[in-house]
Formats: sequence, C-alpha cells, structure tokens
Amino acid sequence: MAQTAAVYAAILIPFKVGIPIIPGFVELRPANAVPIVASLLFGPAAAWGAAFGNVIGDCFGTLGPGSLFGFLGNFCYGYVPHLLRGHLGVLSSERGPTPSSWRQIIEFMVICSVASMACALVIGWGVDLLGLLPFWIVVPPIFLNNFLMGVLLAPPLLFFLHPRVKRWGLLYEDIVRSEASLDPEALDPSTELRVEPEPGRGLDGSGARGGRSIQETRSTPSSHPSPVTRHHILSVENVSFTHTGAARPALNGISLRVRQGESVALMGRTGVGKSTLCYALNGLVPQLIPGRWSGQVTVNGHDTTSRPVWQQAGMVGLVFQDFEAQLLSTNVTMELAFPLEHLPQPLSPPAMASRIERALERVGLSGLDRRDPLSLSGGQRQRLVIASTLIREPALVVLDEPMTDLDPEGRRTLASLLASMRAGGTALIVAEHDPEDAVAADRVCVLDHGAVVWDGPPRLLFGDPDIPPWYGIRPLPLVSCFAGLKLPDPPMTVEEAWQVADAHGLMVAPDEAALHQEAVRKDAPVIIDAHKVSYEYQRGSPVVSDLSFAVHEGEFVAIIGLNGSGKSTLAMLLSGLNTPTSGRVLVGGRDTRTLGAGQLATTVGYVFQNPDHQIFAETVGEEVAFGIRNLGFPPEECERRVAEALDAVGLAAPEVRKLDPFSLTKGDRQRVAVASVLAARPRILIFDEPTTGLDAEQTDRMMRMLRRLNQRGHTIVIITHTLSLVAAHAARCAVMRDGRIVADGPTREVFRTLTDPQFAASVGLEAPSLTRCAARWGHTLLTVDEVRAALRKK
Amino acid sequence: MNQYFLYLDRDTWLHRLDARTKVVSLLGIFAVALIFSDPRFLIAPAILVVMALISAEALVNLRKMWLLLTLLFLYCLLLWPFFVTGRTPMIAMGTLTLTNEAVRYGVAMGLRLDVMFLGGILLLSITRIEEFTLALQRLGLPGPMAFALSLAFRWVPSLIGAAGLIVQAQRARGLDLGAGHALGRIRRYPPLVVPLIGHTLRHTRLLAMALESKGFGPGAERHGFLELRMRRADYGTLAVMVALVGLCIWLRVAGYGTVEVRFS
Repeated sequence: MAQTAAVYAAILIPFKVGIPIIPGFVELRPANAVPIVASLLFGPAAAWGAAFGNVIGDCFGTLGPGSLFGFLGNFCYGYVPHLLRGHLGVLSSERGPTPSSWRQIIEFMVICSVASMACALVIGWGVDLLGLLPFWIVVPPIFLNNFLMGVLLAPPLLFFLHPRVKRWGLLYEDIVRSEASLDPEALDPSTELRVEPEPGRGLDGSGARGGRSIQETRSTPSSHPSPVTRHHILSVENVSFTHTGAARPALNGISLRVRQGESVALMGRTGVGKSTLCYALNGLVPQLIPGRWSGQVTVNGHDTTSRPVWQQAGMVGLVFQDFEAQLLSTNVTMELAFPLEHLPQPLSPPAMASRIERALERVGLSGLDRRDPLSLSGGQRQRLVIASTLIREPALVVLDEPMTDLDPEGRRTLASLLASMRAGGTALIVAEHDPEDAVAADRVCVLDHGAVVWDGPPRLLFGDPDIPPWYGIRPLPLVSCFAGLKLPDPPMTVEEAWQVADAHGLMVAPDEAALHQEAVRKDAPVIIDAHKVSYEYQRGSPVVSDLSFAVHEGEFVAIIGLNGSGKSTLAMLLSGLNTPTSGRVLVGGRDTRTLGAGQLATTVGYVFQNPDHQIFAETVGEEVAFGIRNLGFPPEECERRVAEALDAVGLAAPEVRKLDPFSLTKGDRQRVAVASVLAARPRILIFDEPTTGLDAEQTDRMMRMLRRLNQRGHTIVIITHTLSLVAAHAARCAVMRDGRIVADGPTREVFRTLTDPQFAASVGLEAPSLTRCAARWGHTLLTVDEVRAALRKK
Repeated sequence: MNQYFLYLDRDTWLHRLDARTKVVSLLGIFAVALIFSDPRFLIAPAILVVMALISAEALVNLRKMWLLLTLLFLYCLLLWPFFVTGRTPMIAMGTLTLTNEAVRYGVAMGLRLDVMFLGGILLLSITRIEEFTLALQRLGLPGPMAFALSLAFRWVPSLIGAAGLIVQAQRARGLDLGAGHALGRIRRYPPLVVPLIGHTLRHTRLLAMALESKGFGPGAERHGFLELRMRRADYGTLAVMVALVGLCIWLRVAGYGTVEVRFS
C-alpha cells in the first residue's frame, strides 16, 4: 500500500503535464494511470495506495476538506478495477489484465470507464456538498482525465510490468493462490528447514519475498543457546542456499566462525554469494528471501531460523549495500528512535533520548539530530544507518560493501568508526572489494561460487600478488611493486613500504623521460567550453559557482572531489542536461540552451551511475535502440547502429540482444546503458561513477572499454572517487571543492599537488598509496609498472 | 527539512502545540470557512490564518503557494457567477445576467477555498510527518495504516529524486518530453514510469527487509518515542477554536454571513 501511495504521489508531483484544468482540483496528469495498473497487478492494496497517495499529494500544498473526497474517490478508482476484473459476466475475458485480445480490450475499457466515473462522481459530489465547486464542473474533467490516461498509458505499462511482476512473485492473484495452498498440517515439524519454491525472482536475481513466512514451514523453534557454538558470536555450519528459481546455489556448504571483537572481511567477485551470506546472518535468508536452505547459522548460540528476523535485531545489526533503503524517518532523531521503539523491553522516552545522543556521538553526527536524513551527505547517511543498528547494541554488525559510495574522507571516517566498534568488542563482518580496506581486518574470507575458498589472515592472502586475482580480487598495489624482491613479509601500507626500502637500501628513482605520460591535448580544438558557469538547485545556494572549464577533443578527463563538491552537477552542465543559472556552456560551439534533446544525444552521451534508472525495454536490443528511435532513424540504420554499439561494449553475441536487460549482472547492465548512449554516435561521452559496485575484473573491463572508446576518437569525461583508476587511465584530472575547480592539469601534476598533505586535506582527498610511497623520493608515479621500474638500490 | 515538504523546523508556540490540537484546529478552520458564504465574513478568518502563518514564521510557504491560491480565487470568482443567480442584476449579456449576489458568492467561494488551503499550509508548516500520523492514529486511524502513510510520506522525496534522474537519463537518450502535442507527450511517459515502478518494487523488497532488521514485525509491540502531551496552551487553543466555531454558528443561525443565491 505504502508503495503504491508513494509511487502515485511521487509521480503526481514531478510528472504533472502542467495543464491545470481546475487549479487545485483537476489536472491533466499521466500519473492517473497508476491506480488502474496497480489495482490490476497488486489488488486492493492499490486502492489504499491511490487514496493515501492523493492525500500525500495534497499535503505538498493543497490540503483541504476536499482531500477527504479525493481520498474516497481515489480509493474507488484504485479498488474498482480489482473488483470488476473477472466479474463482468459476458464482458469478462477470463484472461490476464493486459489488453491483448478484443475481449480483454473490451473488459479493460469497461473497467477504465467505470473506475473513472466512480472516482469523478465521488469527488464531484463531495466538492459540491462542501459548496466549493459545482458538481457538473468537476465531474467531466475528472472522468475524462482518468479515462484518457487509463486508456492511453495503462496498456503499455501493463504490457511491460505484468510479466515482470508475475516473475517476481508479486502478482496479487498469485500471492492469494499461494497463501490458499498453504497447508501447515501437512508439514512434518521435525523436517529440515525448507522454504518451498515460489514463482518469481528478484530483479537482482536473488528472489522476491513470497506470500508465506518461514515460520509456517520450519521445525520446532529453539530459543536455547547451542552448546557447540557457545564460544563464538557467530557460527555458520555447512550452509547451502539456492534462490527460488535459480539453477545454482548462491551458498554452497559454507562454514564460518567469528569470535567476539573479531573483524572478518568477506571478499570475492560480484555474485559469488557475499550479500546472500550477509542476509543469512540475521535470518533474512531464508525467511524473507525464499529458496532451498540447509545447514545452520547461530548467533550467540541462537539459531537464526528459529525466530522471526525482527526478534533478532538486537543480536545482529545489518547495514545493506543499498543503505539508503534503511532510512525510514524524516529526521535523524526519529531514525534512531525507530529501533528503540521496537525493543522487547520498553525504554522510557528520556532513556531513548539518552541512547540516541550517545549513538550520534559515537558515529560523529552530534548536532545533526534535527536534520532530515536525506539532507545529509552520503557518508553521514551511512553513519546514521550504522548508528541505527548499533543503538540496539548487537554483538555482531554486518556491513555489505559499505565503502562503495564513499569519497576518500568518508572512507577514512568509516574505517576509524569500524576500528572503534571492534575495540568495543563488537564482532564485524564487512563485505568489500578493495584490498586496501580489507588489510585492516583480522581475517579475510574469500567466497567463490557460493563456497569459502580461502580463510585466513589478510597478510597471507595479499602477501603474494598472484593469489588475489584468482578470486577476482585486485592485488595490493604496493605488494605488486615489491614482488620482484621476493620479500618474506612484503609491505602492504605506505609506511611499511618506506621501512622495507630503508631496510633493503632501496629507493625510487624513475627515468623521468621514460615515464609514460599522455600529453594534455591543448592543441586539439575545444569541444566543451564552460564559461563562468554557476548552478543553483535552490536560490542562494550555488552548487557550482563561477566556474570555467574547457575540454579538448579526444581528451580523457577525470573530475574528482568529495561528495557534494559539485562534480555531478558540473558533468550535467557539460552534457547540457542542466543549463547554467548564469554563464554559458558551449558544446561543439553551440550553447546548450539552444540544443534540443535530440541534438544533445548525438553530441554528448551521458551514462548515469545507476543503469537501472534508464532501462525499461524488454530486451537488450530494444533498450539500445530506444535512443536512436527517438531520434527518428529508419529501422535499418537503427539495426546497424545497435550492432555497432553492442560490439563496442563487448556484447556482440547475437543471443544477448534478446535477453531481458534485468537478467544481466550490474556490470553488464552498465554496458547496455553505455551501448544505448553510443548508438547515437556522440563525440563526447560523460560517465558518472562508471565502476561503482563492480568487482576488480568488471572494473578492469569497464576501464579498458573506456580506453578503447577514447582511442577510437571519443572524448571521455569521468567522475570517480577511485583515484587509482584516474592515475591509471586519465590523462587529465580536475579537482573540485565547493563548486569550484581548485586544480586542473595533467594527472601526474595534479597528483603531485595531492601528495602535499595540506592541499590533500583541504580537498578531502588522498593520493593513491603508490603515489604517496614514491613521493618520499620526490617523484610522482601513478602505476604499479612505473614504481616497479623505478625501484633500485641506492 | 526536505525541500518537498512544507514543514519548517522552528520553535514557535504553534510548533509546540500537540499534534492533535493542530489537527482539530484545522478542522475548526474548515468549519468556519464552510459556515459563511458572505465574503465580508470570510475576510476575518483569512486574516486570522495569515496571522497564524506569520506567527509560525511560515510566510516562506505562503510565498511558495501564492500563485496557486490566486488562481483558485480567480477561478471561483469567474466560475461561480455563471452557476448561481441573485436578485440584483449587474450586467446582462443576452440570456445571461450576472447578479451582484452571484459575484459576491464567487468572491466568497474563492476566499473559502483559500482559507482552507491556508489552514492546510499552516498545519503542514508546523507539524512533522511523524507527529501528524501519530495524531491521526490517536484520533482513530488504525496503527498499520498510520505507519504505512508515514512510510509513504518518507518515500516521496526519494522517489521524486529517482524520478528526476530517470527523466534526465531518458532525455540523455533523446527523449524530448516537452516536444509535440499533448497526446504525443503523454505517450512518452512509459519510459519514465516503468523504471520508476521497477525501482520502487526493488525498494519495497529492501524496505521489508530493513523494517524487520530494525525490529519491526507483525508481532512487535511499539513503544513510542514521541509523546503527545496536552498542555495548557493546547487547552487554551482548543477553547478559542470551540468559541470561534460556536460564535460563527450563532451568527449563521442568527441570519448573518450568507449571500442569498439560487443555483441555476
């Protein structure tokens, strides 16, 4: 219900076509197709969703007594389709809700007209009753608006959503059928825990919540600690789990034990089961994520499947990879109060307030207690989510890729917070990709194909640079540099590298002339020229201010800086997707204000961080063709360009075109997004965080692809937090702070300034470990090969 | 506070009132606006609500909404005279005669709507979403619905953010939402709505997991952090509102505050 309400309200607000028929009462808005679609897919919940969604929409400025009738009218609008489908006698098609046959079209039209009329009559009657507007003025436009939007927009939405919602197991009729078929009597209470397969899988392939609870199929609950696991906070014993509908297990006989205060880094390729294991540690797998389960997970001796997840919140704190989904309240204090409000032993409000204060202090958010969580920076939001798990004082905290979206300063703050949690006796399990973060852990546990393939101290894993790549993990760059020396204990940090160098009489002395350095193409024509641009989302608060920046044809430029420094806004301005509040941006010599969407798409391609924000078509081929079809190219030309674009991103295999884009991994979905932009053959490509959430192999593939595109003549601009990628790939680098560019030039020069601690602190960045290591000898080196070649005896 | 919400984080006496007092007072404002149909009697409530907005330091929200309020007023002013008629003709246009009473009625209806919307803006400016839903719960809304409403409120800004990104992502691929006729524009919405619904469905699943991970479950008891407490100022405010509504009813019964019109 909340979902439909939020979607409806959210679409109502920004997606209004902007034609107020009766201001404050009736507007021509495409969002009005949503209740019909939601009702046909999700059943009665859509009625409540539509009703509350309308009230929420009113709460953004037009709350009045008419809202009551808006509530009732929209409830009818969301309920009638569910009520009528299949109950229209001879008019019923007895088939799915998508209008794909004559009988279904007739049924759909009847449903639309009756629902629209019911809504219009209720609102018209109510508004007239209150003496606000005459009945006959209100009813026709509401009816027409709802009916038109329903007839025009609901069918394409249904065609797209119905098969997917069915596959994800969220279709109302399937859930009802599934619940009706439950027969608890037939279950043997002594059998091994098993959740029966249900149709549908999650968008990420990990399965969706079905209509049944684990409690209905599990063995007799046991609330007594198991004697076998008494000495460990966590014990995972031979756990296997296969997502519903999946061919292969996500977890395959995993065993793992963790002691109090111990810190374990979970590593491995994307998709090897790290997140599934994290979810299994507080019972989300298999209780909310259905599938075939065997084995046992105990926390503090309690089997995680013996009690509902919510009863285990005090033992295990879990921070999701997509931690923003865990923010539930409109201010920081309420966010932290929420878990305390659900403690089994009630706390008084003053006691809660005192705990909230302590938790905020612990994560460094004191003084922000009245702020809206969404107004905090990414790092602050993440610390807030961590505080909301710590506040119940769990013995074990599990973090799923917590560093993904953080800038260098955010990573440092989080690392010190994790160290203090460990010192306080909290056991930590952190899933991550970056070896430099994993080095600080007590143990590294590597997963591959759902099984633990390596478990031991990080020095053992990272000491040999040849081992991590076996498991799709990047080796530590400093270890790779010193690998040739065959040291028994190779250096893993910059300080260790200096000590090793001193002990072995080594120094870094590169042949400066031989250093590979791509020249900044100042001689090439300027292709993007931003002149004194400023941009404000809210008046008086410029995000980019008075900035001038030029990109030359064929350059590979990286824009770096802290979260909130204005990088993405600048990129949007350079792409023409936003136009400056003042100043001007010329792309290919033309002011972006004068360019239409079609002209922009053929000049500048912008690839967003999250490919799911653009993917909507049913097949990869359709998705890639979407942009060029918008531009009006004939089918043969579209076909040619789709093939060319897919080839450029390494997805040339013909069978790929017919795949559902959502069935691909995130790395491949990102490639589809790049291909769909490339198909328009833009000369400039702008990428916003192109490697976020990708493992080492996927990151390498993505960066190689960018290099290839650059070599083919595309101008590349990337925004990234990963400075090692900038060092390895970008010829030019610009550093942003507070909406301005504070350093700009060849990457080597910019990184030289970053080795100055004062400058690095002022921009919140830190040069990569290699660069900092070499800086001791006065040189600025960027890659492993450069440092390795420069290492020599004094 | 989020830019999409009207709530303003201030410490005025109106902000400190119990949320139930605020909701009941809003109903009082609605009642007063509905009692009168004479514009002269609606000016005082309008001034009162604007003064309350000033007292709540919420004029910034009034500035955000003034265009809508003006449009509403003009709409009523132009529309109603054609649907009602009175005794005193003003202008005759063929078979249509505009009367003095009809015009006054139109002005009154415009004021009535504006007073109501101003009341709504006042409530939203001084009440947090959590307080609002808690008050609704205390006033009889079932707990699960109040919680779902509060969650939906919370979701709207992040969905608007996602919607904004989706619009930009599709524009980057040449989807021009503003071009063409209205029908064509409407047909270009599926590429926007489909990813948004997909995003929401993924988010829903995560949300269910997040809620349970934080201790919220079907059998979990909730021990509220927010305390709704009626203080002297609340009782005083409610007394004033009751007196005001009583006075308005008395005036209305005594024959004041109406414009005599016939609905045509």
